[in-house]
Amino acid sequence: MIARSFWGFLLFAFAAFSPAAQAQSGGELHFCLHGEPKTFNPILVDDEAAEQIRYLTGGVLIRLNRQTQALEPALATSWDTSRDRRTITLHLRKGLRFSDGTPFTSEDVAYTVKLMMDPQTHSPTGDAFRSGDGAVDVKTPSPDVVTITFPAPIAGLDRLFDQVAIMSAHSPKKEMAVLGPFFVAEYKAGSSVLLKKNPNYWKRDAQGNPLPYLDSIHIDIQRNRDIELVRFRKGELQLINRLDAEQFERLRHDDPAVARNAGTGLDAEELWFNEVPSAPLPEYKKTWFHTTEFRRAISAAINRDDLCRIVYSGYAKPAYGPVSPANRFWFNSALEKPTYDPKLALALLTHAGFRHENETMKDAAGNRVEFNLVTNSGNATREKMAVMIQQDLSQLGIKVNVVTLDFPSLIERMTRTFDYDACLLGLVNTDLDPDSQMTVWLSSGENHQWNPNQKTPATTWEGEIDKLMREQASAPTDKERKAKFDRVQQIVAEQAPFIYLINKDVLVAVSSSVVGTAPVVLSPQAFWNAETLRLNAGAALGAQK
Amino acid sequence: MSPARLLRTTCGTFLCAVFLAGLFAGGVTHYSYATQFREAPNAAPSPTHLFGTDSLGRDLFTRVLYGTRVSLLLAPAAAFLSTIIAGVFGAFAGFVGGWFEAAVLAVADLSMALPLLFVLLALRAMLPLDIDPVVSVAATFILLGLLGWQASLRVVWAASKNLRDSDFLLLARATGCPRSRIILRHVLPNLRPVLLAQFWISIPLYVLTEATLSMLGLGVMEPLPSWGNLLRGLEDFSVVHANPWRALPLVLLVVVVICFQLILPAQEEIA
Amino acid sequence: MRHRIYQVGRRLALLLLLTLLGGLLGATLVRLAPGYGVDERELDPRLSQQTIESIRASNRAHSSLLVYYARFLQGAAHGDFGDSQWLQRPIASLIRERLPVTLRSVLLGTLLAWLAALAAALAVSIFPNWALDLSSTVMSGILIALPVAVVAMLAVYIGAPVPVAIAAVLVPKLFRYVRNLLAHANAQPHVLAAQARGVGRPRILSHHIAPCVSPALLALVGVSLSMAFGAAIPIEALCDSPGIGQLAWQAALNRDLPLIMNLTLLTTLITVAANWLANFSNRRVM
Repeated sequence: MIARSFWGFLLFAFAAFSPAAQAQSGGELHFCLHGEPKTFNPILVDDEAAEQIRYLTGGVLIRLNRQTQALEPALATSWDTSRDRRTITLHLRKGLRFSDGTPFTSEDVAYTVKLMMDPQTHSPTGDAFRSGDGAVDVKTPSPDVVTITFPAPIAGLDRLFDQVAIMSAHSPKKEMAVLGPFFVAEYKAGSSVLLKKNPNYWKRDAQGNPLPYLDSIHIDIQRNRDIELVRFRKGELQLINRLDAEQFERLRHDDPAVARNAGTGLDAEELWFNEVPSAPLPEYKKTWFHTTEFRRAISAAINRDDLCRIVYSGYAKPAYGPVSPANRFWFNSALEKPTYDPKLALALLTHAGFRHENETMKDAAGNRVEFNLVTNSGNATREKMAVMIQQDLSQLGIKVNVVTLDFPSLIERMTRTFDYDACLLGLVNTDLDPDSQMTVWLSSGENHQWNPNQKTPATTWEGEIDKLMREQASAPTDKERKAKFDRVQQIVAEQAPFIYLINKDVLVAVSSSVVGTAPVVLSPQAFWNAETLRLNAGAALGAQK
Repeated sequence: MSPARLLRTTCGTFLCAVFLAGLFAGGVTHYSYATQFREAPNAAPSPTHLFGTDSLGRDLFTRVLYGTRVSLLLAPAAAFLSTIIAGVFGAFAGFVGGWFEAAVLAVADLSMALPLLFVLLALRAMLPLDIDPVVSVAATFILLGLLGWQASLRVVWAASKNLRDSDFLLLARATGCPRSRIILRHVLPNLRPVLLAQFWISIPLYVLTEATLSMLGLGVMEPLPSWGNLLRGLEDFSVVHANPWRALPLVLLVVVVICFQLILPAQEEIA
Repeated sequence: MRHRIYQVGRRLALLLLLTLLGGLLGATLVRLAPGYGVDERELDPRLSQQTIESIRASNRAHSSLLVYYARFLQGAAHGDFGDSQWLQRPIASLIRERLPVTLRSVLLGTLLAWLAALAAALAVSIFPNWALDLSSTVMSGILIALPVAVVAMLAVYIGAPVPVAIAAVLVPKLFRYVRNLLAHANAQPHVLAAQARGVGRPRILSHHIAPCVSPALLALVGVSLSMAFGAAIPIEALCDSPGIGQLAWQAALNRDLPLIMNLTLLTTLITVAANWLANFSNRRVM
């Protein structure tokens, strides 16, 4: 009996003194954003910092659970989408109020949607819903029901509402009156944003306690990631949302408990060749870049495992294609894993008419194979990747000139002058659904980087991709959509207009004073569940500056 | 030999050794500055890699040697250019005075205030992307020299003004010596200590400016090393803490700068 | 008296002209630099063609520089300095928020740098000792050799404020020049004669060396303020201090023409005014 009591006591002590048990409500969480939020108006948000503020303050009708990647009811308790995917009917929670006490009704939803879809507003959030010409029809048959009809079908219609933070139609505080867990209490331009707990937040935990647990979140605007890490180590910050691999490795070495790897992320690094017919390049270079075997040879000649191991310290995986394996539904698992095969690369080039003589690769006309690879300056990992690619291709006798340019200069070359040979950039995927990347895959698209804004598809395979993307947008079921997009991924793997290199892991740092974090690959990775985060008793007052 | 003289001789010898090592880097090391030993990134110093390796496995000793060639040849060239411009215009402005002085100072003030980063960006954009890295970095340093004279000009101008009413210059003017001859034969030689000081001070400044430009993509193109791009990773002290040998280029830069400064008094004596 | 008023008026008019010229030149540089008029939002695949077109149209609004400048001057005369393209806020309020931060950092940093440089140079001059000279040279060499980025990071690491980082960048340059100036003045015949007559060191410094070196030192005051302002830009950007420096850095990276032009106007005004003040003080001393 005494033994049982003893073990019982030990168990009790462990439970009582564990971090979870010591955590309590209240306190201030402290972390940084890497840029200045340009606006607090949720429908005008188009930068990452503002999106993260919107996530913490905005109340949405339907929430995409960042962990399960499944849709959940939020302000709407349920919804129905019509078969033609043009109409959605949402049933709203009753008795809710904005942060300033203004009642929430279907009128607010109607106001938000109309404002968002107004062409004069130029809302980036609204762009996702712009499926065709014509006005959007919003009906509010009762204060807790709203029906929205779009002029044309929208793929994944319900998922898009995860980005739509509802604004009040009547509040004098306009967009500053919110329905999310926090509201913006103070903003010091260039310095910080203070979010305070929304006293009228509708959500409660399983025990019926009101959420959020935190009293406030103090967000500093800190662009310099090295300084952010120094401040985290000093205890001034309690989490870092995205760490680079080198910083993560050092942190893990010093304090493994705080360095958390959420797994393979959605983002990819990719390389492409300039295939714009009017580009100011020599004709022989255009011929190279238009040749599929050339592109596939370059892809085979790049050692992706080395890129992952050396540049990312092992916190990355070779990329298969445009969709990361982390995107569980849309990833095409039938794609072949990219392999490093210089012999295959040489064979492909030889087949395409190139020849390797005196350690130099030349084309059929005797031109030395040499091209410039541009990337943006200031990104150390990308510059290292470019140098490693330069070394890999030099084994085949191909000379690569790595040129780093500041971002505006790079964009100008990519989108206006087309004066570059090859470009190395990253693809940031904030949305799981490939429909959000229509402008990338359609040959007429603005972001069809290797040859944008085509009047007609330049190749048959681009024509096929156009057809498949349009079909998937209007396909009635997700299964059919996936089948079509799987085929798009297959074509991209075969033709290699983009040479996908790696998918980075999502690396975050979380102080032991924060309880309840569960980093995920979707943004915001470290604080997607901010409403249920708590601080340990010792850190109840938050980080001390 | 006095201790001071011994110290200056030692510094001078060290600088010559560094300069020659950079010039004949190919003979000192058998590695290429671009070769990546991918099985040994961030390796500690060893008999195989004297200064260890960088994050891509490149031999750091080799990169420091070749980087010395770039930085120690081009930074002094840029410093020389800016000092010449500052010397000529500053001396003339200080001595001549009047509207010329006002105009020169106004131009100096204006160019100090302008965002000259855009001049460098425009130059980079004008250069072809396929340009040889050596040509690109030479053009960058030359431009730095053409744009970096303002601070030196003010110092030279003040010193020149100070000399304007000196007895020997009054004597020269009284004997009918032409103005240009006075400036070239009397003013500039007396400004030599100031010009030398500005020259020596400017050299490390241009090396460091190149480091800053490297971060903006305007510095030396990879894989060509320079002291600037070798210093880039040091902003994060945990890098140095984990791999202390990564600070060796910084140590070398500091030692070289100090040697430059210790040599300067000898030049003043000769003047 | 009338002549003095005329002189002051002429100076102020010249200051205004130079400032406006600086602004126009700054705007020209930005306008001609590559990457002007592009926006990284154009790479966002979520945006529709219409939204991208509207972004491009708003960036094309300043395509004619002279027209833009004329409109700006017209607005500035009424206190409207335009809106920042990048931050989408009135520039006047941005500058009002951030200028005090930078002024404080620059003035404090310059003052600290001068105090440290003068103290070190005077110590070397009063107590001529090769060990002291060597150690001060080594210290200044180390500080000169550190990149601004490293100085800024060191300041963050040890918890030092931005003015200290600015002072650390200025001190070696000032020290070296002041020390050489004092050494040169020490070797002047009239100083040697005073020493030979047994005049005390403090009196030699105040009555014989100070008048000799003060014109050059005063000239350097203006330069050092400009240098401090220049150093403040990368230091504020790296330390994320919410001053004009950080604003200028981000504006440059984002090609924000209205903001850069306003900041160039401000920088030109401060630089020219600081140097003229130094010149004026110089003439008063002489």
